[in-house]
Amino acid sequence: MNLRIHDYFERGKKVKIIVNDETIEAFEGECLSVVLFITNKKNLRTSPKLKENRGMFCMMGSCQECVVLLDGKKVTSCNIFIKDGMEIKTGNLNVL
Amino acid sequence: MCYKKEYDVIIIGAGPSGVKSALTCSKKGLKVLIIDSNGNSGGQIYRAPPKSYIKKSEKTFEENLIQLKFSEDLTKNNIDTAYNHTVWQVSPGFKIDAFNENGTIQWNTKNLIVATGTYEKIIPFDGWTTPGVIGLAACTILLKAHQTLPGNKIVLAGNGPLLISVAYYILKFGGKVDAIVDTSSKFEWIKSMISLIFNPKNFIQGISWILKIIFSRVPIYSNSLINKVSKKENGISVEIQNIKNKQIKKLTTEVLAVGHGLTPSTDISRLLKINHSYDDLKGGWIPKLDKYFKSSMKGLYIVGDGSGISGAIAAEEKGELAAYSILKDLKLIDETEFENNTSKVIKKLKRYEIFAKGIAKLNATPKSLIENISNNTVICRCEDITKKDIIHAAENGARNLNQIKSWTRFGMGPCQGRTCQYSVAKIASEHLRCNIKDLGYLTGRTPLRPFPLDKAIGDFEYEEITKVEAAPL
Repeated sequence: MNLRIHDYFERGKKVKIIVNDETIEAFEGECLSVVLFITNKKNLRTSPKLKENRGMFCMMGSCQECVVLLDGKKVTSCNIFIKDGMEIKTGNLNVL
Repeated sequence: MCYKKEYDVIIIGAGPSGVKSALTCSKKGLKVLIIDSNGNSGGQIYRAPPKSYIKKSEKTFEENLIQLKFSEDLTKNNIDTAYNHTVWQVSPGFKIDAFNENGTIQWNTKNLIVATGTYEKIIPFDGWTTPGVIGLAACTILLKAHQTLPGNKIVLAGNGPLLISVAYYILKFGGKVDAIVDTSSKFEWIKSMISLIFNPKNFIQGISWILKIIFSRVPIYSNSLINKVSKKENGISVEIQNIKNKQIKKLTTEVLAVGHGLTPSTDISRLLKINHSYDDLKGGWIPKLDKYFKSSMKGLYIVGDGSGISGAIAAEEKGELAAYSILKDLKLIDETEFENNTSKVIKKLKRYEIFAKGIAKLNATPKSLIENISNNTVICRCEDITKKDIIHAAENGARNLNQIKSWTRFGMGPCQGRTCQYSVAKIASEHLRCNIKDLGYLTGRTPLRPFPLDKAIGDFEYEEITKVEAAPL
């Protein structure tokens, strides 16, 4: 089943983004955390002590669980909107 | 947008309360700036779809129409908007520091209206940190703003009206709800219905949502909670437990959306050292305000759900009252006009607050939810602090939330305790057998949201740095 609802709005044009070296298709302007969630890339950051996977949680910029590396910079993916060719890295982001 | 350095009124938060304040102030000629971290007005409740989404036809839903009206009204009234700007510091006086993707900016004002709304309370359980477990509020944002179902199969859990609203929207948008797991009993719902009469519009809407859920034959587990979640190959396994008879039912699903009501966002009022009081039916700690939502600090108003949870419709009334109070202080309306305008609004607000109290009872945190948290469950998600760590701190003498913070590092992570403060307080007060009020709240700290230092500094050449004379040897 397509999880995107197309009844009310037309989305932007189809673009490609790279997530951990894998290319996935999305619509331009869609929310990054939502696209990752519905394409089953739910593991975003790794927790600091227990090294557990964490993922999108609050969707309003509060919890900071959806942090990923976008073009090498830490961002909360819930307020990032897809642009063609974005490069995303997930997992252990605490690299110096 | 070209901003002024100083505004007559600055409003933080472009939800229903902030927008209403802005419109009321600007109608009397005040220069208003409204700031929001989202890309548009509407707040979380009427959150706008991303900018790239283009409306297909006249076919729409109510929240979207309200948001469009907000945008139109703000533009028509020449209100400056700073969308995509996140406020990271507010200093008395007032200086407001914000950042966006280009860097930082500071504005000044004598009249500040804080309309920052709420966060969702989510009481931890085993496995709540598993990716695929999200907030109920997150789920509504996915559905209404992003027009996306979170998964093919969804379990909804928690309590209160959001459970019904999320279930309704999933069904409306063609999705499937595997189960609704509600900590309240059916009797508690019926009891709360009595107060709903004070808000007929929401009452009728609620009934139509419940009917849709019943006709769709979604299994409803009343008096039940989520005992445990674990990762499975193609989804997650969810353990549902009946609070009374302890019976357990296991389900496999893709997504679990869970929420236990809302708690006011007090980041800014705590930072400005306003006095707060505790009211469980209003969501926890709330700033002390007069009946026009004015705080003890000159020129500072706190409106909307941030002043105590009472919903989106009441939020507008609160925003309006604060605006009238500012207009009176600035002598733009006289005493008679002020009394005339506010007395009507206060009457309406009182009715909505009776309604809100009824709803709040459904969102009261049952003891069983706290007792059900196992010792090794992570409570502070940022720093991986478990229930055991919190109890250890309490046993060793930590007697308030700030002390527990120093002891364990809870609340020192990037979310600054927004996600877990409420649960930590509940756990500690249960363990110490003390009133939750006696534990206080976390001292407000900047930055209100994490942001990279390079953003604060901006781009510059070495030559541009102001050099200071070296200290004499």
